[in-house]
Amino acid sequence: MKTAWALTILLICCAPTAWTVQAEETVSPPQQLRVFDTPNDSGGSLTVTWAQTDQESKNLRYQILLKDPAATEPKVIAEFASDTYYVRDAKAPWWTRPAPKNMHQFTIKSGKGIDLKDGTSYAVTVASVAGEQRTSAAPVQAKPEPNWFNWNQINNLAIVMIFGFVVLGSIQAAKRREIFLRRIPGLDAVDEAIGRATELGKPILYLTGAGDMSEPSTVAAAVILGRVAKRVAAYETDLMVPHRDPIVMAVCQEITKQSYLEAGKPDVFKEDSNFFITTDQFSYTAAVDGIMLRKKPAANFFMGSYFAESLLLTETGASTGAIQIAGTDSDHQMPFFVTTCDYTLIGEELYAASAYLSREPVQVGTLRGQDIGKACILVALGVGTVLATASVLLHVDLSLALDLVKDWK
Amino acid sequence: MTLLRRQLPLLITFVTGILFAAQYYIPHPASELMLTSVSKWLQIIAGFALILGVTSLFHIHAVKIRRKEPGWGYSFVLYAGMLGTIVIGLWHGGKETTDGVTTAFGWIYTFMMVPLQGTMFAILAFFIASAAYRSFRARSREAAVLLIAAVIVMMGRVPLGEHLIPISGDITQWILNVLNASVRRAILIGISLGAVALSLKIIFGVERAYLGGGKE
Amino acid sequence: MSFAERMLHIDRRIIFLVIGLCTLIPLLYPVGLAIKISPEVKSVYDYIESLPDGSVFLLSLDFDPASKPELYPQAVALLHHAFKKNLRVIGMTLWLPGTGMASEVISRVAREEGKVSGKDYVFLGWSPGASSVIITMGQDLYKAFPTDYNNQPTAELPVLKGVQSLRDVNYVVSLAAGSTGIETWYVFGKDKYKFELGGGCTGVIAPGLYPLLRSGQINGLIGGLRGAAEYEVLIGKKGTAVAGMDAQSATHFAIILLVILCNVFYFLIRTSGKTAGQN
Repeated sequence: MKTAWALTILLICCAPTAWTVQAEETVSPPQQLRVFDTPNDSGGSLTVTWAQTDQESKNLRYQILLKDPAATEPKVIAEFASDTYYVRDAKAPWWTRPAPKNMHQFTIKSGKGIDLKDGTSYAVTVASVAGEQRTSAAPVQAKPEPNWFNWNQINNLAIVMIFGFVVLGSIQAAKRREIFLRRIPGLDAVDEAIGRATELGKPILYLTGAGDMSEPSTVAAAVILGRVAKRVAAYETDLMVPHRDPIVMAVCQEITKQSYLEAGKPDVFKEDSNFFITTDQFSYTAAVDGIMLRKKPAANFFMGSYFAESLLLTETGASTGAIQIAGTDSDHQMPFFVTTCDYTLIGEELYAASAYLSREPVQVGTLRGQDIGKACILVALGVGTVLATASVLLHVDLSLALDLVKDWK
Repeated sequence: MTLLRRQLPLLITFVTGILFAAQYYIPHPASELMLTSVSKWLQIIAGFALILGVTSLFHIHAVKIRRKEPGWGYSFVLYAGMLGTIVIGLWHGGKETTDGVTTAFGWIYTFMMVPLQGTMFAILAFFIASAAYRSFRARSREAAVLLIAAVIVMMGRVPLGEHLIPISGDITQWILNVLNASVRRAILIGISLGAVALSLKIIFGVERAYLGGGKE
Repeated sequence: MSFAERMLHIDRRIIFLVIGLCTLIPLLYPVGLAIKISPEVKSVYDYIESLPDGSVFLLSLDFDPASKPELYPQAVALLHHAFKKNLRVIGMTLWLPGTGMASEVISRVAREEGKVSGKDYVFLGWSPGASSVIITMGQDLYKAFPTDYNNQPTAELPVLKGVQSLRDVNYVVSLAAGSTGIETWYVFGKDKYKFELGGGCTGVIAPGLYPLLRSGQINGLIGGLRGAAEYEVLIGKKGTAVAGMDAQSATHFAIILLVILCNVFYFLIRTSGKTAGQN
C-alpha cells in the first residue's frame, strides 16, 4: 500500500516533467528557402527568402549564415527576431516582389564587414534558433551579379514615355488649332517695362540667375532673354546682362546677338552687353547692386534660380524705383520676389514664358501636354486619398488597391 | 557652318540626352562609371570656360580704366585683389594652414573673405525688415491671411513668442508640416513636370534657342 | 502729407537702426528664455544617441562663410555630440569656399573633446564634382578621397578601418546652405547606397525640405539658428546659437510690430481716402 502511494506520488511529481518534455517541441528548419542574386541592383548583393512558420514567437530567432568560397565554415552575418524581415517590409513595388508578402526576406549586401564579389558563388542558409536548439536548412548556392535594367523603375519610365507622347500629341494638336493660354500678368508687363526704360532713356538690367546651363530655369531664362533682347533691339535701348557662369554668358551672348540680327539691328548690338562678374554668390550680388545704384536701370528682370541673394538684389532695385519682373522656380525665394517685385512668374510660369511670348504652336502644345500631365496626377492623388480615407472610415481592407496606386509613383 | 553651329550640337544633345536619361534606369556599375566620367569632363570644360569669364572681366575693367569711367579706380582694386589672391594662393598650394600656422592665403580667407561674405548675408536681416514694412499690407483677403500666417510663424519660431503665446509653437509646427509641406509638394510637382517637358524639348531638338538663334 | 503717409514712406535707415538695436542689445544683455525642442531636431539627436560606440558618422559641411552664422553652430553641436558618443567622425565638404571653415571647426571641436586626427576623426576636404563625388564615395571612398585634407593616405587611417564605401557609414548628416546639399545627398547617396540621412540647413530653405522629412527621405532636420539652439540644449552645451535666440526673438517682434504699424497706417489712409471721397 505504502509502495503504491509512493509510486503514485512519484508519478504525479514526474508528470509535469513528462508534459514539459512533450510540450517542448523540436524547432524545425526554415522551409522553402531560396537564395538568389538581388534583382535590379548594381551587384554585390544576395536575397534570401523563406516561409513563415507557426512556430514563430518571441523565443524563436533566425540567423543568416554565409560561407565564402575560401572559408571552411559558414559565419553568422545577421540574427533577428522571427517576427521581423518580411517581404512586405522590403521597399519593392508589387510587380518585382520575389515572393508572397507574408514570406520572410533578407537582403545580404556588401559592406559592414561583408564583401560579396560579383560572379563568385556563395553558400547561404538560414537557421532557426530557440534557446539551446538550432536547426538550419540545407545551404543554397547563389552568385551576385550586376543587372542591366532596374525593373523597379519601369513605372517611372512608362510615365515619362506616356508624358512624352502626350506632349508630342499636344504639339500636333496645337499646330491644327489655337489653344487657350491664361493671362500671365508678369509677361504682359515685359513690353511695358521695356517701353518705360526707352522713354526714360535708361538701361534694362537682365539677370539669368545662379544656375548653370544644366538647370531648366537657366535655359528658360536664356530663352526669355532672346525674346526680350529682340524687343530691346527694336527700341534701341541699352541692355546689361551680368553673369555668374561663363558658359551661360557665352550662350546668352550668342542668343542676344541672334536676337539683334532678327530684329534687323545688328549694328546696335554691343559685345559687352553680356559680361561675366564672378561665380561667388555675394560678390556677384554686391557688383550687381553697385550697377543698379550707379546706372539706375529703369527695368530689372530676375529670371532663373536664386538663393539668398534674391532679396538683396530686388530690394536694392526697388530702392532705385525700377519696375521689377521676376521669374524663378526657387520656391524658397518666391516670398521675397513676390513682396519686392511688381510681377512674379511662379515656378512653371517661367517655363511657360517662352510659349506665352512667342505663341509658337510647338511651345503652346508643350504647355498643354504639361497641363494634361498635371491633371492625371491630380486624379491619381484624388483616387489615392479617397481609397486611403475609405479604408480607414469604413474599416475595409483596400490594401491591394492602395498598393497598386502607391507603387505607381 | 550650319553643320557645326546647328546640326552637330543638336545631334550631340540628342545622343547624350537619351544616353543619360537611360542611365537612370541602368543600375550596372558601367552605367555609373559613365556618369562619373562625364561629370569629370563637365568639370574640365567648366574650368576652361572660366578662362572665358575671366577674360571678359579683365576686358570690361580695362575699358573702364582706359576711358576713365566713373569708379575706374575700383577696377584697379579688382585687378590687384584678383591677381594678388591667385599668386598668394598658388604660393601656398591653396592651403589655409601649414603645420598649424596660418598662411597668407589663410589670412585672406579668414580675415577678408569670411567677414565680407558674412556681412553680405547679415544685410538680409535689415532688408527683410524694410521689405516687410514696405510690402506686407493686407490689400486683399488673401494678403490678410498671408499676413496672419506670417505673424504666427514668426512668433512660433522664437522662444519669446512661445513664452508669450505657448500655442503659437504648435500652430507653427502644424503650418510648416501640413500646409507648407503640401503646397511645396504641389509647386514641386508643377516645376518637375515643366522641367521634364523642357528637357524633352531640348533633347528632341524642339527647343533650340540655347544654340543662339530662333528658327532656321 | 499726413502723419500716416509720412510714416509709410519713412526712411529705410530708421528701420535698419531699429533692427540693429534689436540685434545688439539682447546680445549684450541676454535674457535666456527656455527653448522648446521640435520633433524634427530631436529625431537627429535621438538617432545619434542610438548609435553604438565606434559607429561611423559622416558630416558633410556643405556651406560657405556666408551661411556661417546659422550652420556653424549646428556643426559645433553635432560634432560635440558625435565625439562624446565616441563615434568615428568623417568630415568633408562639397562647397569649395567652405573648406577652410570646415577644417577649422572639426579640428577645434576635436581638440576640445580630446580627439586625435586619423584615429578618432578625419577631414577629407573638398573634391570637385558634387554628385559624382557622392557616387564615387558610394562605390569606393578611397577612390573619391585617396588622401585627406592633410595629404595623409586615407587607406592607412585607423579611423577608416572597415569603411570601404558609403554603405559602411552608419549616419550621414549634410549641413546645407542650398544646392549642392541635402537633396543631392538623397538622390545620389541614400537612394542608391541605403544609409540613413539627416539634414541641417539655413532657416530660409528649411520649409522647402519638409516634404523630404515627411516622406522619410531624411530622418530629421535642424533648421536655422533655432534648430542649432535646440540641439545645443539637447546636448547640454549652450553656445552661440542659444545666445543668438534672444536677438532673434527681439528682431522677430520688431518686424511683427513694424508690419502691424504699416497696416494701421495703410488702413488709416484708406479710411480717410474713402471719407474724403464720400464728402
